[in-house]
Amino acid sequence: MLPLLKKSRGLLLPLLLVLAWEYASRQDAAGAYAFVPLSAIGTALLEMLGNGELLVNLLASLARTSSGLVLGILFGVTLGVMMALSSVANRLIGPLFHSIRQVPMLGWIPLIAMWFGNGEFSKVLIVSLAAFYPMVLNTYQGFSHVERRYREVGQVLVLTPVQQFTQVLLPAALPSIATGVLHALAFAWVTAIGSELFLSSGAGLGNLMMNAEAGSRMEVIVLSVLCIGLLGYLMTLLFTRLSRHLLRWRNLR
Amino acid sequence: MNAIAHPAHVHTGALQIRGLNKAYQIEGRDLPVLQNIQLDVRPGEFVSIVGASGCGKSTLLRLIVGLEAEYNGDILLDGQRIAATSLERGIVFQDHRLFPWMTVSQNIALALKNHKLPQAEKDRLVAEHIALVNLAGFENAYPHQLSGGMAQRAAIARALINKPKVLLLDEPLGALDALTRVHLQRELQRIWVQQRCTVIMVTHDIEEALYLGDRVIVMDAHPGRIKHEIRVELPHPRDRASPKLQGYKEQLLEELVGH
Ligand SMILES: Nc1ncnc2c1ncn2[C@@H]1O[C@H](COP(=O)(O)OP(=O)(O)O)[C@@H](O)[C@H]1O
Ligand SMILES: [Mg+2]
Repeated sequence: MLPLLKKSRGLLLPLLLVLAWEYASRQDAAGAYAFVPLSAIGTALLEMLGNGELLVNLLASLARTSSGLVLGILFGVTLGVMMALSSVANRLIGPLFHSIRQVPMLGWIPLIAMWFGNGEFSKVLIVSLAAFYPMVLNTYQGFSHVERRYREVGQVLVLTPVQQFTQVLLPAALPSIATGVLHALAFAWVTAIGSELFLSSGAGLGNLMMNAEAGSRMEVIVLSVLCIGLLGYLMTLLFTRLSRHLLRWRNLR
Repeated sequence: MNAIAHPAHVHTGALQIRGLNKAYQIEGRDLPVLQNIQLDVRPGEFVSIVGASGCGKSTLLRLIVGLEAEYNGDILLDGQRIAATSLERGIVFQDHRLFPWMTVSQNIALALKNHKLPQAEKDRLVAEHIALVNLAGFENAYPHQLSGGMAQRAAIARALINKPKVLLLDEPLGALDALTRVHLQRELQRIWVQQRCTVIMVTHDIEEALYLGDRVIVMDAHPGRIKHEIRVELPHPRDRASPKLQGYKEQLLEELVGH
Protein backbone atom coordinates (compact mmCIF):
# COMPACT_ATOMS: atom_id res chain seq x y z
CA MET A 1 0.00 0.00 0.00
CA LEU A 2 2.73 2.42 1.02
CA PRO A 3 4.91 1.92 -2.10
CA LEU A 4 1.84 2.48 -4.26
CA LEU A 5 1.15 5.71 -2.40
CA LYS A 6 4.76 6.79 -2.90
CA LYS A 7 4.61 6.02 -6.60
CA SER A 8 1.47 8.05 -7.15
CA ARG A 9 2.68 11.13 -5.26
CA GLY A 10 3.08 12.93 -8.60
CA LEU A 11 -0.66 12.56 -9.23
CA LEU A 12 -1.69 14.41 -6.09
CA LEU A 13 -1.27 17.94 -7.37
CA PRO A 14 -3.02 17.34 -10.72
CA LEU A 15 -5.90 15.72 -8.84
CA LEU A 16 -6.30 18.76 -6.56
CA LEU A 17 -6.25 21.01 -9.63
CA VAL A 18 -8.98 18.98 -11.27
CA LEU A 19 -11.10 19.25 -8.13
CA ALA A 20 -10.57 23.02 -7.93
CA TRP A 21 -11.45 23.28 -11.62
CA GLU A 22 -14.66 21.38 -11.18
CA TYR A 23 -15.52 23.50 -8.12
CA ALA A 24 -14.94 26.74 -10.08
CA SER A 25 -17.09 25.50 -12.97
CA ARG A 26 -20.04 24.98 -10.62
CA GLN A 27 -20.06 28.52 -9.18
CA ASP A 28 -22.04 30.51 -11.76
CA ALA A 29 -22.55 30.89 -15.51
CA ALA A 30 -19.35 32.89 -16.03
CA GLY A 31 -17.42 30.24 -14.12
CA ALA A 32 -18.98 27.52 -16.18
CA TYR A 33 -17.86 29.28 -19.37
CA ALA A 34 -14.25 29.95 -18.30
CA PHE A 35 -13.86 26.60 -16.54
CA VAL A 36 -15.82 24.13 -18.63
CA PRO A 37 -17.26 21.34 -16.51
CA LEU A 38 -15.32 18.09 -16.60
CA SER A 39 -18.34 16.34 -18.05
CA ALA A 40 -18.27 18.64 -21.09
CA ILE A 41 -14.57 17.93 -21.62
CA GLY A 42 -15.26 14.21 -21.32
CA THR A 43 -18.03 14.40 -23.91
CA ALA A 44 -15.75 16.34 -26.28
CA LEU A 45 -13.00 13.76 -25.79
CA LEU A 46 -15.31 10.89 -26.67
CA GLU A 47 -16.69 12.74 -29.67
CA MET A 48 -13.26 13.63 -31.05
CA LEU A 49 -11.87 10.19 -30.40
CA GLY A 50 -14.87 8.77 -32.22
CA ASN A 51 -14.56 10.84 -35.38
CA GLY A 52 -10.75 10.59 -35.37
CA GLU A 53 -10.30 14.36 -35.22
CA LEU A 54 -8.09 14.21 -32.14
CA LEU A 55 -5.85 11.48 -33.51
CA VAL A 56 -5.34 13.17 -36.87
CA ASN A 57 -4.34 16.48 -35.34
CA LEU A 58 -2.23 14.85 -32.70
CA LEU A 59 -0.32 12.75 -35.22
CA ALA A 60 0.18 15.78 -37.44
CA SER A 61 1.79 17.70 -34.59
CA LEU A 62 3.91 14.70 -33.61
CA ALA A 63 5.13 14.14 -37.16
CA ARG A 64 6.05 17.80 -37.49
CA THR A 65 7.92 17.71 -34.21
CA SER A 66 9.81 14.53 -35.09
CA SER A 67 10.96 15.63 -38.51
CA GLY A 68 12.01 19.04 -37.21
CA LEU A 69 13.76 17.39 -34.30
CA VAL A 70 15.68 14.96 -36.48
CA LEU A 71 16.81 17.74 -38.81
CA GLY A 72 17.72 20.01 -35.92
CA ILE A 73 19.73 17.27 -34.22
CA LEU A 74 21.57 16.30 -37.42
CA PHE A 75 22.57 19.83 -38.36
CA GLY A 76 23.10 20.90 -34.75
CA VAL A 77 25.46 18.04 -33.93
CA THR A 78 27.36 18.57 -37.16
CA LEU A 79 27.89 22.26 -36.53
CA GLY A 80 28.67 21.70 -32.83
CA VAL A 81 31.33 19.12 -33.69
CA MET A 82 32.85 21.39 -36.32
CA MET A 83 33.00 24.34 -33.94
CA ALA A 84 34.53 22.26 -31.16
CA LEU A 85 37.13 20.45 -33.22
CA SER A 86 38.21 23.22 -35.59
CA SER A 87 39.19 26.57 -34.18
CA VAL A 88 38.96 28.01 -37.70
CA ALA A 89 35.32 26.93 -37.95
CA ASN A 90 34.67 28.25 -34.46
CA ARG A 91 36.08 31.68 -35.23
CA LEU A 92 34.32 31.76 -38.58
CA ILE A 93 30.85 30.61 -37.50
CA GLY A 94 30.80 31.34 -33.76
CA PRO A 95 30.00 35.09 -33.80
CA LEU A 96 27.25 34.70 -36.43
CA PHE A 97 25.71 31.75 -34.59
CA HIS A 98 25.69 33.51 -31.25
CA SER A 99 24.07 36.65 -32.67
CA ILE A 100 21.38 34.78 -34.59
CA ARG A 101 20.69 32.78 -31.46
CA GLN A 102 19.58 35.97 -29.70
CA VAL A 103 16.51 36.26 -31.96
CA PRO A 104 13.62 34.57 -30.14
CA MET A 105 11.93 31.70 -31.95
CA LEU A 106 8.67 33.64 -32.33
CA GLY A 107 10.62 36.43 -33.99
CA TRP A 108 11.48 34.14 -36.88
CA ILE A 109 7.93 33.19 -37.68
CA PRO A 110 6.91 36.32 -39.64
CA LEU A 111 10.12 36.26 -41.65
CA ILE A 112 9.87 32.57 -42.45
CA ALA A 113 6.20 32.98 -43.35
CA MET A 114 7.10 35.77 -45.77
CA TRP A 115 9.86 33.70 -47.36
CA PHE A 116 8.35 30.26 -47.47
CA GLY A 117 4.60 30.72 -46.91
CA ASN A 118 2.59 29.10 -44.15
CA GLY A 119 2.82 25.50 -45.34
CA GLU A 120 4.49 22.44 -43.91
CA PHE A 121 8.00 23.47 -44.94
CA SER A 122 7.90 26.64 -42.88
CA LYS A 123 6.64 24.84 -39.80
CA VAL A 124 9.25 22.10 -39.96
CA LEU A 125 11.90 24.75 -40.54
CA ILE A 126 10.84 26.60 -37.41
CA VAL A 127 10.80 23.41 -35.36
CA SER A 128 14.22 22.34 -36.59
CA LEU A 129 15.62 25.78 -35.85
CA ALA A 130 14.32 25.49 -32.28
CA ALA A 131 16.00 22.09 -31.89
CA PHE A 132 19.14 23.28 -33.64
CA TYR A 133 20.31 25.83 -31.03
CA PRO A 134 20.47 23.58 -27.98
CA MET A 135 22.04 20.84 -30.07
CA VAL A 136 24.85 23.10 -31.30
CA LEU A 137 25.52 24.47 -27.83
CA ASN A 138 25.53 21.15 -26.00
CA THR A 139 27.45 19.28 -28.68
CA TYR A 140 30.05 22.02 -28.65
CA GLN A 141 30.25 21.84 -24.85
CA GLY A 142 30.61 18.06 -24.89
CA PHE A 143 33.29 17.88 -27.55
CA SER A 144 35.37 20.75 -26.24
CA HIS A 145 35.47 19.37 -22.70
CA VAL A 146 36.78 15.89 -23.39
CA GLU A 147 39.41 15.33 -20.73
CA ARG A 148 42.96 15.42 -21.96
CA ARG A 149 43.82 12.28 -20.03
CA TYR A 150 41.35 10.34 -22.17
CA ARG A 151 42.58 11.86 -25.41
CA GLU A 152 46.08 10.86 -24.41
CA VAL A 153 45.02 7.23 -24.02
CA GLY A 154 43.79 7.30 -27.61
CA GLN A 155 47.15 8.71 -28.60
CA VAL A 156 49.06 6.04 -26.66
CA LEU A 157 46.98 3.33 -28.36
CA VAL A 158 47.77 4.96 -31.73
CA LEU A 159 44.13 5.32 -32.73
CA THR A 160 43.42 6.82 -36.14
CA PRO A 161 41.59 10.17 -36.17
CA VAL A 162 38.35 8.38 -37.06
CA GLN A 163 38.81 5.86 -34.22
CA GLN A 164 39.71 8.67 -31.83
CA PHE A 165 36.41 10.32 -32.79
CA THR A 166 34.18 7.26 -32.50
CA GLN A 167 35.85 5.58 -29.53
CA VAL A 168 36.92 8.54 -27.40
CA LEU A 169 35.49 11.95 -28.32
CA LEU A 170 31.93 10.96 -29.21
CA PRO A 171 31.26 8.75 -26.17
CA ALA A 172 32.83 11.36 -23.89
CA ALA A 173 30.54 14.01 -25.39
CA LEU A 174 27.44 11.82 -25.33
CA PRO A 175 26.08 12.90 -21.91
CA SER A 176 26.21 16.51 -23.03
CA ILE A 177 24.59 15.65 -26.37
CA ALA A 178 21.81 13.82 -24.51
CA THR A 179 21.15 16.94 -22.46
CA GLY A 180 20.96 18.83 -25.74
CA VAL A 181 18.41 16.40 -27.15
CA LEU A 182 16.30 16.69 -24.01
CA HIS A 183 16.20 20.47 -24.40
CA ALA A 184 15.69 20.21 -28.15
CA LEU A 185 12.77 17.87 -27.61
CA ALA A 186 11.00 20.31 -25.32
CA PHE A 187 11.67 23.29 -27.59
CA ALA A 188 10.64 21.39 -30.71
CA TRP A 189 7.31 20.35 -29.23
CA VAL A 190 6.47 23.82 -27.95
CA THR A 191 7.55 25.43 -31.21
CA ALA A 192 5.58 22.96 -33.31
CA ILE A 193 2.40 23.98 -31.50
CA GLY A 194 3.41 27.64 -31.68
CA SER A 195 4.00 27.47 -35.42
CA GLU A 196 0.57 25.89 -35.88
CA LEU A 197 -1.03 28.73 -33.97
CA PHE A 198 0.68 31.36 -36.09
CA LEU A 199 0.68 29.66 -39.47
CA SER A 200 -2.77 28.14 -39.29
CA SER A 201 -3.07 25.75 -42.16
CA GLY A 202 -3.34 21.99 -42.23
CA ALA A 203 -3.80 19.71 -39.25
CA GLY A 204 -2.26 19.95 -35.79
CA LEU A 205 -3.14 20.49 -32.16
CA GLY A 206 -2.40 24.20 -32.56
CA ASN A 207 -4.84 24.46 -35.44
CA LEU A 208 -7.40 22.52 -33.50
CA MET A 209 -7.14 25.14 -30.78
CA MET A 210 -7.41 28.03 -33.24
CA ASN A 211 -10.52 26.56 -34.80
CA ALA A 212 -12.03 25.85 -31.40
CA GLU A 213 -11.43 29.44 -30.38
CA ALA A 214 -13.19 30.67 -33.52
CA GLY A 215 -16.11 28.36 -32.71
CA SER A 216 -16.08 29.28 -28.98
CA ARG A 217 -15.58 25.63 -28.07
CA MET A 218 -13.83 26.05 -24.74
CA GLU A 219 -13.84 22.32 -23.96
CA VAL A 220 -11.86 21.57 -27.13
CA ILE A 221 -9.28 24.19 -26.23
CA VAL A 222 -8.90 22.69 -22.78
CA LEU A 223 -8.65 19.23 -24.25
CA SER A 224 -5.91 20.36 -26.64
CA VAL A 225 -3.96 21.98 -23.82
CA LEU A 226 -4.20 18.75 -21.84
CA CYS A 227 -2.99 16.70 -24.81
CA ILE A 228 -0.06 19.03 -25.43
CA GLY A 229 1.05 18.84 -21.83
CA LEU A 230 0.62 15.11 -21.54
CA LEU A 231 2.40 14.32 -24.79
CA GLY A 232 5.31 16.60 -24.00
CA TYR A 233 5.64 14.92 -20.65
CA LEU A 234 5.54 11.44 -22.18
CA MET A 235 8.16 12.28 -24.79
CA THR A 236 10.51 13.66 -22.15
CA LEU A 237 9.93 10.61 -19.99
CA LEU A 238 10.63 8.27 -22.89
CA PHE A 239 13.84 9.99 -23.86
CA THR A 240 15.06 10.20 -20.27
CA ARG A 241 14.60 6.44 -19.99
CA LEU A 242 16.39 5.87 -23.29
CA SER A 243 19.35 8.07 -22.44
CA ARG A 244 19.64 6.50 -19.01
CA HIS A 245 20.00 3.16 -20.74
CA LEU A 246 22.49 4.42 -23.32
CA LEU A 247 24.56 6.17 -20.65
CA ARG A 248 24.36 3.35 -18.14
CA TRP A 249 28.17 3.37 -17.93
CA ARG A 250 28.01 6.57 -15.96
CA ASN A 251 28.54 6.41 -12.26
CA LEU A 252 25.49 8.15 -10.87
CA ARG A 253 26.31 7.47 -7.24
CA MET B 1 50.98 -2.79 -37.95
CA ASN B 2 53.49 -4.68 -35.94
CA ALA B 3 52.74 -8.28 -35.25
CA ILE B 4 52.63 -9.53 -31.71
CA ALA B 5 55.85 -11.38 -30.98
CA HIS B 6 56.25 -13.58 -27.95
CA PRO B 7 59.57 -12.74 -26.37
CA ALA B 8 61.07 -16.06 -25.39
CA HIS B 9 64.47 -14.44 -25.09
CA VAL B 10 64.60 -10.72 -24.86
CA HIS B 11 66.76 -9.02 -27.40
CA THR B 12 64.77 -5.87 -28.02
CA GLY B 13 63.66 -3.11 -25.74
CA ALA B 14 66.99 -1.38 -25.15
CA LEU B 15 66.46 2.21 -24.14
CA GLN B 16 69.16 4.84 -24.41
CA ILE B 17 68.63 8.36 -23.16
CA ARG B 18 71.39 10.77 -24.12
CA GLY B 19 71.69 14.35 -22.91
CA LEU B 20 67.95 14.75 -22.56
CA ASN B 21 66.71 18.23 -21.78
CA LYS B 22 63.07 19.20 -21.55
CA ALA B 23 61.54 22.56 -20.77
CA TYR B 24 57.93 23.68 -20.60
CA GLN B 25 56.92 27.11 -21.83
CA ILE B 26 55.19 29.06 -19.12
CA GLU B 27 54.07 32.57 -20.06
CA GLY B 28 56.67 32.72 -22.79
CA ARG B 29 59.51 31.72 -20.50
CA ASP B 30 61.27 28.37 -20.52
CA LEU B 31 60.83 26.36 -17.36
CA PRO B 32 63.48 23.62 -17.31
CA VAL B 33 61.98 20.36 -16.13
CA LEU B 34 64.62 17.79 -17.05
CA GLN B 35 68.31 18.54 -17.36
CA ASN B 36 70.94 16.38 -19.01
CA ILE B 37 69.37 13.00 -18.32
CA GLN B 38 71.63 10.06 -19.20
CA LEU B 39 70.12 6.62 -18.81
CA ASP B 40 70.72 3.21 -20.31
CA VAL B 41 68.20 0.46 -19.79
CA ARG B 42 69.01 -3.07 -20.90
CA PRO B 43 66.39 -5.16 -22.67
CA GLY B 44 64.18 -6.83 -20.11
CA GLU B 45 65.48 -4.77 -17.22
CA PHE B 46 63.20 -3.43 -14.47
CA VAL B 47 64.16 0.10 -13.47
CA SER B 48 62.50 1.95 -10.60
CA ILE B 49 62.59 5.72 -10.36
CA VAL B 50 62.06 7.56 -7.09
CA GLY B 51 62.32 11.25 -6.24
CA ALA B 52 60.46 14.20 -4.78
CA SER B 53 57.24 15.16 -6.50
CA GLY B 54 57.75 17.73 -9.21
CA CYS B 55 61.20 16.49 -10.17
CA GLY B 56 60.01 15.46 -13.62
CA LYS B 57 59.43 11.73 -13.27
CA SER B 58 56.08 11.80 -15.08
CA THR B 59 57.52 14.08 -17.73
CA LEU B 60 60.32 11.58 -18.34
CA LEU B 61 57.80 8.77 -18.86
CA ARG B 62 55.62 10.95 -21.10
CA LEU B 63 58.67 11.66 -23.22
CA ILE B 64 59.53 7.98 -23.51
CA VAL B 65 55.99 6.97 -24.40
CA GLY B 66 55.87 9.72 -27.02
CA LEU B 67 53.21 12.04 -25.60
CA GLU B 68 55.67 14.95 -25.60
CA ALA B 69 57.34 15.32 -28.96
CA GLU B 70 59.52 18.33 -28.22
CA TYR B 71 62.78 17.73 -26.42
CA ASN B 72 66.50 18.18 -26.80
CA GLY B 73 68.87 15.25 -26.81
CA ASP B 74 68.01 11.72 -27.79
CA ILE B 75 65.68 9.03 -26.57
CA LEU B 76 66.45 5.89 -28.51
CA LEU B 77 64.56 2.61 -28.42
CA ASP B 78 66.67 -0.07 -30.08
CA GLY B 79 68.50 2.74 -31.83
CA GLN B 80 65.38 4.51 -33.13
CA ARG B 81 64.67 8.06 -31.98
CA ILE B 82 61.29 8.39 -30.27
CA ALA B 83 59.08 11.11 -31.75
CA ALA B 84 55.52 9.85 -31.32
CA THR B 85 53.49 7.20 -29.55
CA SER B 86 53.76 3.62 -30.74
CA LEU B 87 52.33 0.26 -29.79
CA GLU B 88 55.90 -0.78 -28.94
CA ARG B 89 55.57 1.30 -25.78
CA GLY B 90 52.80 0.94 -23.23
CA ILE B 91 52.00 3.05 -20.21
CA VAL B 92 49.92 2.72 -17.05
CA PHE B 93 49.02 6.00 -15.37
CA GLN B 94 48.33 6.55 -11.71
CA ASP B 95 44.67 7.16 -12.52
CA HIS B 96 43.71 4.04 -14.44
CA ARG B 97 42.28 6.04 -17.37
CA LEU B 98 39.99 3.26 -18.45
CA PHE B 99 37.25 4.70 -20.63
CA PRO B 100 34.15 4.82 -18.43
CA TRP B 101 31.92 4.10 -21.45
CA MET B 102 33.56 0.76 -22.18
CA THR B 103 33.50 -2.49 -20.28
CA VAL B 104 36.71 -4.06 -19.02
CA SER B 105 37.07 -6.29 -22.06
CA GLN B 106 36.17 -3.47 -24.48
CA ASN B 107 38.80 -1.25 -22.87
CA ILE B 108 41.45 -3.93 -23.22
CA ALA B 109 40.37 -4.89 -26.73
CA LEU B 110 40.66 -1.26 -27.86
CA ALA B 111 44.44 -1.58 -27.59
CA LEU B 112 44.28 -4.24 -30.34
CA LYS B 113 42.18 -2.05 -32.61
CA ASN B 114 44.89 -1.55 -35.19
CA HIS B 115 46.29 -5.06 -35.22
CA LYS B 116 45.42 -7.05 -38.29
CA LEU B 117 44.47 -10.15 -36.37
CA PRO B 118 41.39 -12.32 -36.84
CA GLN B 119 38.64 -11.40 -34.39
CA ALA B 120 38.83 -14.83 -32.76
CA GLU B 121 42.52 -14.32 -32.06
CA LYS B 122 41.82 -10.90 -30.57
CA ASP B 123 39.13 -12.36 -28.34
CA ARG B 124 41.54 -15.03 -27.21
CA LEU B 125 44.23 -12.44 -26.40
CA VAL B 126 41.78 -10.33 -24.44
CA ALA B 127 40.59 -13.33 -22.44
CA GLU B 128 44.18 -14.39 -21.84
CA HIS B 129 45.17 -10.97 -20.50
CA ILE B 130 42.07 -10.66 -18.36
CA ALA B 131 43.08 -13.95 -16.80
CA LEU B 132 46.68 -12.75 -16.49
CA VAL B 133 45.63 -9.88 -14.24
CA ASN B 134 43.10 -12.05 -12.38
CA LEU B 135 39.99 -10.26 -13.62
CA ALA B 136 38.13 -13.27 -14.98
CA GLY B 137 34.42 -12.79 -14.32
CA PHE B 138 34.59 -9.01 -14.68
CA GLU B 139 34.80 -8.84 -18.47
CA ASN B 140 31.51 -7.00 -18.79
CA ALA B 141 31.84 -4.72 -15.78
CA TYR B 142 32.09 -0.98 -16.33
CA PRO B 143 35.03 0.81 -14.68
CA HIS B 144 32.84 2.48 -12.08
CA GLN B 145 31.83 -0.96 -10.88
CA LEU B 146 35.43 -1.92 -10.12
CA SER B 147 37.57 -1.26 -7.06
CA GLY B 148 40.69 0.85 -7.52
CA GLY B 149 42.90 -2.21 -7.55
CA MET B 150 40.78 -4.01 -10.13
CA ALA B 151 40.68 -0.97 -12.40
CA GLN B 152 44.45 -0.71 -12.22
CA ARG B 153 44.78 -4.40 -13.13
CA ALA B 154 42.62 -3.79 -16.19
CA ALA B 155 44.82 -0.83 -17.13
CA ILE B 156 47.89 -3.06 -16.81
CA ALA B 157 46.27 -5.65 -19.07
CA ARG B 158 45.48 -2.93 -21.63
CA ALA B 159 49.12 -1.85 -21.62
CA LEU B 160 50.46 -5.40 -21.86
CA ILE B 161 48.22 -6.80 -24.57
CA ASN B 162 50.31 -5.29 -27.37
CA LYS B 163 53.37 -7.05 -25.97
CA PRO B 164 55.22 -3.73 -25.74
CA LYS B 165 59.00 -3.68 -25.77
CA VAL B 166 58.89 -1.10 -23.00
CA LEU B 167 56.27 -0.86 -20.30
CA LEU B 168 56.10 2.45 -18.41
CA LEU B 169 54.40 2.60 -15.04
CA ASP B 170 53.72 6.02 -13.51
CA GLU B 171 52.96 5.43 -9.83
CA PRO B 172 50.55 2.68 -10.89
CA LEU B 173 49.82 1.59 -7.34
CA GLY B 174 50.08 5.02 -5.75
CA ALA B 175 46.36 5.48 -5.19
CA LEU B 176 45.72 2.04 -3.72
CA ASP B 177 45.49 0.98 -0.11
CA ALA B 178 48.52 -0.72 1.46
CA LEU B 179 47.15 -4.25 1.31
CA THR B 180 46.06 -4.07 -2.32
CA ARG B 181 49.39 -2.49 -3.15
CA VAL B 182 51.43 -5.33 -1.67
CA HIS B 183 49.22 -7.79 -3.49
CA LEU B 184 49.58 -6.04 -6.84
CA GLN B 185 53.33 -5.68 -6.40
CA ARG B 186 53.54 -9.45 -6.26
CA GLU B 187 51.35 -9.67 -9.36
CA LEU B 188 53.56 -7.19 -11.22
CA GLN B 189 56.59 -9.25 -10.24
CA ARG B 190 54.96 -12.42 -11.55
CA ILE B 191 53.80 -10.80 -14.79
CA TRP B 192 57.18 -9.24 -15.45
CA VAL B 193 59.05 -12.50 -14.81
CA GLN B 194 56.67 -14.10 -17.29
CA GLN B 195 56.82 -11.42 -20.02
CA ARG B 196 60.28 -9.97 -19.52
CA CYS B 197 59.67 -6.70 -21.25
CA THR B 198 61.69 -3.66 -20.27
CA VAL B 199 59.91 -1.85 -17.43
CA ILE B 200 60.42 1.62 -16.05
CA MET B 201 58.34 2.28 -12.97
CA VAL B 202 57.99 5.57 -11.13
CA THR B 203 56.98 5.18 -7.52
CA HIS B 204 57.12 7.08 -4.24
CA ASP B 205 57.31 3.85 -2.27
CA ILE B 206 60.96 2.96 -1.57
CA GLU B 207 60.19 -0.63 -0.61
CA GLU B 208 58.23 -1.10 -3.82
CA ALA B 209 61.11 0.37 -5.84
CA LEU B 210 63.58 -2.05 -4.25
CA TYR B 211 61.30 -5.07 -4.24
CA LEU B 212 60.68 -4.87 -7.99
CA GLY B 213 63.64 -3.02 -9.51
CA ASP B 214 66.91 -4.35 -10.84
CA ARG B 215 68.03 -0.79 -10.37
CA VAL B 216 66.64 2.17 -8.49
CA ILE B 217 67.25 5.63 -9.94
CA VAL B 218 67.06 8.57 -7.56
CA MET B 219 66.04 11.87 -9.10
CA ASP B 220 66.45 15.38 -7.76
CA ALA B 221 64.35 18.46 -8.52
CA HIS B 222 64.85 21.98 -9.89
CA PRO B 223 65.75 21.08 -12.48
CA GLY B 224 64.99 17.38 -12.64
CA ARG B 225 68.12 15.29 -12.93
CA ILE B 226 69.46 11.89 -11.97
CA LYS B 227 71.24 12.11 -8.68
CA HIS B 228 72.10 8.57 -7.79
CA GLU B 229 71.44 4.96 -8.65
CA ILE B 230 71.45 1.72 -6.72
CA ARG B 231 71.82 -1.70 -8.29
CA VAL B 232 69.75 -4.30 -6.45
CA GLU B 233 71.77 -7.50 -6.66
CA LEU B 234 69.03 -9.96 -5.78
CA PRO B 235 67.38 -12.56 -8.00
CA HIS B 236 63.65 -12.46 -8.74
CA PRO B 237 61.20 -13.29 -7.32
CA ARG B 238 62.33 -11.67 -4.14
CA ASP B 239 61.53 -12.11 -0.51
CA ARG B 240 60.11 -8.90 0.90
CA ALA B 241 61.66 -9.57 4.30
CA SER B 242 65.17 -10.28 3.05
CA PRO B 243 67.82 -8.54 5.18
CA LYS B 244 69.67 -7.54 2.05
CA LEU B 245 66.64 -5.50 0.91
CA GLN B 246 66.65 -3.85 4.33
CA GLY B 247 70.26 -2.84 3.81
CA TYR B 248 69.40 -1.32 0.43
CA LYS B 249 66.50 0.47 1.98
CA GLU B 250 68.66 2.22 4.54
CA GLN B 251 71.13 3.16 1.86
CA LEU B 252 68.34 4.62 -0.26
CA LEU B 253 66.76 6.52 2.62
CA GLU B 254 70.10 8.03 3.41
CA GLU B 255 70.36 9.16 -0.21
CA LEU B 256 66.85 10.61 -0.30
CA VAL B 257 66.59 12.27 3.10
CA GLY B 258 70.23 13.24 3.51
CA HIS B 259 72.36 13.26 6.61
N1 LIG C 1 52.15 20.53 -19.34
C1 LIG C 1 52.96 21.22 -18.48
N2 LIG C 1 53.13 22.54 -18.64
C2 LIG C 1 53.94 23.21 -17.79
N3 LIG C 1 54.59 22.67 -16.76
C3 LIG C 1 54.44 21.36 -16.53
C4 LIG C 1 53.62 20.56 -17.38
N4 LIG C 1 53.66 19.30 -16.92
C5 LIG C 1 54.48 19.31 -15.85
N5 LIG C 1 54.96 20.54 -15.61
C6 LIG C 1 55.89 20.92 -14.55
O1 LIG C 1 57.04 20.11 -14.67
C7 LIG C 1 57.50 19.73 -13.41
C8 LIG C 1 57.65 18.23 -13.33
O2 LIG C 1 56.35 17.66 -13.36
P1 LIG C 1 56.15 16.07 -13.30
O3 LIG C 1 56.92 15.45 -14.39
O4 LIG C 1 54.69 15.82 -13.29
O5 LIG C 1 56.79 15.72 -11.90
P2 LIG C 1 56.66 14.40 -11.01
O6 LIG C 1 55.95 13.37 -11.81
O7 LIG C 1 58.07 14.02 -10.69
O8 LIG C 1 55.92 14.78 -9.78
C9 LIG C 1 56.57 20.30 -12.38
O9 LIG C 1 57.14 21.45 -11.83
C10 LIG C 1 55.34 20.63 -13.17
O10 LIG C 1 54.70 21.76 -12.64
MG1 LIG D 1 54.13 12.33 -11.43
